[in-house]
Amino acid sequence: MGLHDWSLIIFTILGQMSVGVFLILGIVHTIAVRRHPIEEVERLTDRALLAIGPVLVLGFIASLGHLGSPVNAYLSLLNVAESWLSREILFGTLFAATGALFALLQWRKIGSFALRRVVALVAAALGIAFVVTMALIYMLPLQPAWNLWVTPLTFIVTSLLTGALAIGVAFVASYAYERKREGADHAALASLLYDSLRGLVLAAVVLVGVQLVTVSLHVTVLSAGETSAAVDSAAALTGDFGVVFGLRLTLAFVGAAIFGFLIYRSTIWATSQRTIGTLVGGAFGLVLVSEVLGRYLFYAASVPITI
Amino acid sequence: MSDQQMAFYIDLAACSGCKACQIACKDKNDLDVGNMWRRVVEYVGGDWTRSGDAWVSTVYAYSVTVSCLHCQDAPCAEACPSAAIVKRDDGVVLIEADRCIGCRYCEWTCPYGALQFDDETGKMTKCDFCADYLEEGKEPACVASCPMRAMDYGPLDELRDRYGDLAAVAPLPDPSISRPAVVFGPHPDSRARGSASGRIGNLEEV
Repeated sequence: MGLHDWSLIIFTILGQMSVGVFLILGIVHTIAVRRHPIEEVERLTDRALLAIGPVLVLGFIASLGHLGSPVNAYLSLLNVAESWLSREILFGTLFAATGALFALLQWRKIGSFALRRVVALVAAALGIAFVVTMALIYMLPLQPAWNLWVTPLTFIVTSLLTGALAIGVAFVASYAYERKREGADHAALASLLYDSLRGLVLAAVVLVGVQLVTVSLHVTVLSAGETSAAVDSAAALTGDFGVVFGLRLTLAFVGAAIFGFLIYRSTIWATSQRTIGTLVGGAFGLVLVSEVLGRYLFYAASVPITI
Repeated sequence: MSDQQMAFYIDLAACSGCKACQIACKDKNDLDVGNMWRRVVEYVGGDWTRSGDAWVSTVYAYSVTVSCLHCQDAPCAEACPSAAIVKRDDGVVLIEADRCIGCRYCEWTCPYGALQFDDETGKMTKCDFCADYLEEGKEPACVASCPMRAMDYGPLDELRDRYGDLAAVAPLPDPSISRPAVVFGPHPDSRARGSASGRIGNLEEV
């Protein structure tokens, strides 16, 4: 496991998280404006939207680390006709560009609401294509641990799970900033924050459930695989990498389910800002570490069919 | 350049596992230690079994020399994001180094572990079928070096007419994945592809 693989771990996680934040932010916005004034909603969502850019750019920079000749990176679009890797870069770049355009329009409130909505939907579709093409890169007949429905499913769940909790962190930070400003209406914003956090942690609990079931099924399916490479991959997950595997599952459960439960209760009891902030940060941190470990295992425990 | 798919023939029964082909390749291409365009895989198995009062040996071993097999459906070329891996009219698969970005994606797609990353240059490398020698009408270095005369090369169709169409033995993967341009002559002990009777005996070498 060299630096080579770590750059891929960072790139895939940050890329997926960016898409997840974008998608869930859209859903949160759509639901929230039904019950709260749009200006209030956008006081929370706009800043979270702007945070996506740096995360995605950081991911792309990390991806250069896995190239032996990074100066040639611009050539990676030459084989769009055949290579899923080219297609991933294409959709990643288009998502970044359209997302940035939307963020600009939304931040400066340029254009009508309907126009901005269309741009956002296009960016969302490109983001989904980015995550799906990223998964298809790994659907290789020689890599039985990757060549399963598990790969696209876990990539999508990773996007939404890390995305949901990252939005929680962004909202808490945005709220804390707004509270410091003079003359703002804190009560309305607090109720919006609590509503959003409850929705986000409910989503996180469901998603972590899907993730844990998928990860467990993956081991079962591989153990029953036809090739020795499949069986060896399953054995590596539960044997050599058993501790990391167990830690990954535990952190995901504690972060999303237990912290999620505590956040849900706190928002109803209106516990102190600081406590809620700590819980949301903790949930995100634990789930992020769990997902990084999961992605580490994805690369480290895949035994290829080759000689 | 011919427009027929070029291929290797390996007579497994004649191969002694001496690795002259591997060394000739390293010499011709001036490869560093660790960069092996051609590798000799040893497949070993069997046991001693008791039959009445006697112990009978079923122990066997044979060697399979493997390089890039210039596959007819080269998965590496399809995977390469910068289209740096090209298949010529004569079927030879070449890496155009100035276009390689060193992402190593091709490495995951090769059934034969033929792609060898060069840490010094940050580029992927592999067997080029001694394209310069072919141009001069000379044999590839590996073929020429074999003291057992176990190797041959030429258009795939011709090799098949002469030697048959065996494209894999244990421990090689399913040839339908990439349709490699290779013909094997069987060894008396060679096991069919997918056999679990033996194992690679020199993993640390290949």
